[in-house]
Amino acid sequence: MEAAGISASVALEHHDDHDHHGPPPANRSSRVDSELLGMLLFIISEIMVFGAFFTAYFFIRFVAVGHQWFPFDRYELPVAIAGVNTAILLSSSLTLHWAQLSVKNGNRFGLKAGMLLTSLLGLTFLCIQINEYVHIGFAPQENAQATIFYGLTGLHGAHVFIGLTLLVMVTVRAFRGHFSAEHHHGVEVPGIYWHFVDVMWIVVYTTIYIL
Amino acid sequence: MVAKFRNPGLYRAGLYTVYAVALAYAIIWVFRTWYSLDPVFKGEAVLELALFLSPLGFLIGLGSFSYWFRWATGKPTIPEDHSGHGAHSWRDYFKVNTDHKVIGIQYVVTSFVFFFIGGLFAMLMRAELAQPGRQFVDSSTFNGLFSVHASLLIFLFIIPVFAGLANYVLPLMIGAPDMAFPRLNALSFWMLPLGGIMMLLSFLAPGGSFASGWTAYAPLAVTAPEGQVFFTIGVQFAGASSIATALNFLVTIITMRAPGMSFFRMPLLVWANFSTSLLVVIATPFIAVSQFMVFFDRALGFNFFEPAGGGDVLMYQHIFWFYSHPAVYIMMLPGFGIVSEILAVKSRKPIFGYRMMAFSLLAIVVLGFTVWAHHMFVSGMQDWIRVPMMVTTAIIAVPTGIKIFSWLATLWRGVLHLDTPMLFALGFLTMFTLGGISGVMLAIIPVTIHVSDTYFIVAHIHYVLFGGSLFTIFAGVYYWFPKMTGRMYDERLGKIHFWSTFVFFNLTFAPMHVIGIQGMPRRVADYAEQWATWNLMITIASFFLGLSALVFAYNMVASWRGGPKAESNPWRALTLEWQVTSPPPIFNFDAIPTVVGGPYEYGVPGAVHGVLKDAEVPTPVGAAAHGESAGTTATKDEEH
Repeated sequence: MEAAGISASVALEHHDDHDHHGPPPANRSSRVDSELLGMLLFIISEIMVFGAFFTAYFFIRFVAVGHQWFPFDRYELPVAIAGVNTAILLSSSLTLHWAQLSVKNGNRFGLKAGMLLTSLLGLTFLCIQINEYVHIGFAPQENAQATIFYGLTGLHGAHVFIGLTLLVMVTVRAFRGHFSAEHHHGVEVPGIYWHFVDVMWIVVYTTIYIL
Repeated sequence: MVAKFRNPGLYRAGLYTVYAVALAYAIIWVFRTWYSLDPVFKGEAVLELALFLSPLGFLIGLGSFSYWFRWATGKPTIPEDHSGHGAHSWRDYFKVNTDHKVIGIQYVVTSFVFFFIGGLFAMLMRAELAQPGRQFVDSSTFNGLFSVHASLLIFLFIIPVFAGLANYVLPLMIGAPDMAFPRLNALSFWMLPLGGIMMLLSFLAPGGSFASGWTAYAPLAVTAPEGQVFFTIGVQFAGASSIATALNFLVTIITMRAPGMSFFRMPLLVWANFSTSLLVVIATPFIAVSQFMVFFDRALGFNFFEPAGGGDVLMYQHIFWFYSHPAVYIMMLPGFGIVSEILAVKSRKPIFGYRMMAFSLLAIVVLGFTVWAHHMFVSGMQDWIRVPMMVTTAIIAVPTGIKIFSWLATLWRGVLHLDTPMLFALGFLTMFTLGGISGVMLAIIPVTIHVSDTYFIVAHIHYVLFGGSLFTIFAGVYYWFPKMTGRMYDERLGKIHFWSTFVFFNLTFAPMHVIGIQGMPRRVADYAEQWATWNLMITIASFFLGLSALVFAYNMVASWRGGPKAESNPWRALTLEWQVTSPPPIFNFDAIPTVVGGPYEYGVPGAVHGVLKDAEVPTPVGAAAHGESAGTTATKDEEH
């Protein structure tokens, strides 16, 4: 949005000799779009956040004294339900992709329907996750395994929530008539974040539930 | 009056802070009633939630998010009319401002406020340590003093002051009208003072301020009194601020360089901030997570660090140092950049080994992630980690050594201008080398085991962070003072400042090597009789060191108010920020300049770094001329 704002204000001004009403347009020294790059760097930061939690996972699972992992005693994880939930989250990436393709082709219905579907699928994922917490039968206070289970899935849940917030914003804007085949940055950049959240879930699901 | 509370600004920020505290009470009330917990308003719970919510309330009230709220709800956004650009009076510095030059000054001044507060704490500590036994403060207050001293000077001074200086000069240096994300830039500044104020407020908490050092090791931090959460949460805001700034720098450097400014024509300050920003973006999440884990262990009884529940205590140190060792370079690399600028300009010579200087920065970034466990040689971690970490730690001295020798070669047969920025740069060179040598000593496992947790460590860190980072900060502030304020500083006072700082710095910290090797433990309010003489001497020297900082403060304030007007390029420097007026025009450049050569061609006849075009006449003839000069400078570059 920023770059667009700057160039727009400069385009209006046409180099008055006496006074400037805005800065000169910045030179574009890279073909990469600035918002896209910003989002990618932010995702690197986010990967490191997960990395720190996976460090904790590694220590608790393999290093700590008396380490053991699910399933043990009465501690079991609902692998199948979480698997269904994984499928739900992954399909939301597909609907998001459909929405992004639609906006590029100027298909407003596809954009709106795709965004709405994606948000709903994300919301479903979050609800199933919360339901899992309610019925799982142990609390994070009980032992470190429970702590890291809640820690990692909760961290991911928080990211789903952030991503969902971004998606809802995009959906609201889509319904209010923003975005077009030429201007769809606002769909693309939050979309990258959502795809990242999805990919991260595959890693979390594999390490926590399956391995 | 009502309007003041309705429109974005400090008044509304204060109001929203109160709202946020009320919201914290409400949320706690709802949850604790729901789970029928007793008491309903548990002080700790409310405090911890309020510490998260009130800064957010403050930022919303200040108007940091106004644009994004409109964007998110699909309302028409208010287009940037640039009326907020530039500061017309001191009041403009207390508003959300998207101008990188205003933000740079906001950053630098704020960080120096915290510098003086942190320095004051150091004076109090030295007063306590003047004699064995108890003088002024009890031992837990002493613990609080050194913890807040270190946290403020690391998170609220060294890291952000570099971000501030770079915020001001970096867009100018690369020929950009502003940073890539000006609104994010404003937000990242305003998160900073909140983190610092939070750390200071910890002194009001029951049980005193956080007292577990800036490292806040886990079992201690989990069980410490309530003051600890002020650190745990304050660091989140300081950290978020530095991640956002780093991201902004990276995007700015990659996408907004002037035409002709290839990566290997960037001034080394830009390279340094590029490398630093990479470190910040990659490493800082680790400290955020380590503090979140401590927070969850404290507040909700999680088991991350609880051995009885299967947690791992040493894990805290691994996660913490995986950030905090790279953080050492976050606190040093921008200083390398500043010194590279100053040494080249003040010795009127091209920087020696420009490409190696850039590559060694990147090498430090990579190696910086491979040495964290050298802070844990005595922690009882697995033995097999120690030797590899010793080796990598010794290796990381190599790129740093490359830089030191390149700077020396830059000085070789140069025409040295020994004014204040240059003196501080030379002071850095000597002091940082000493700190680096004690650093290599500390890399060696047996030496570390002997001097671990003694004053040798205190001496080392102050030689690196005071003699290293702070000297470069002083050098940078003096060097860009004319550009930032449009005034010249008082050279005589500057020299007095340098020499008093240099002498008393050494008198303060050099003896600490000796008492450290003799075994005087750090972070203790009392000590054995045998170190009384040394400590008295150190205390006296440190008070003079404190006074020398006042000379600096007076010089800055007096020169800013009434110093002689500065010309646009008092140092005859080639980099772009000196080619515009002092202070720079409101939008930096009338038209984006074209870069035609390297930034350090001092003493090379006819060398040009950037060509400033006039706004009116970008005729084809002029463009051809630029192309030609680009060609000739390029060949000159090769010859060189």
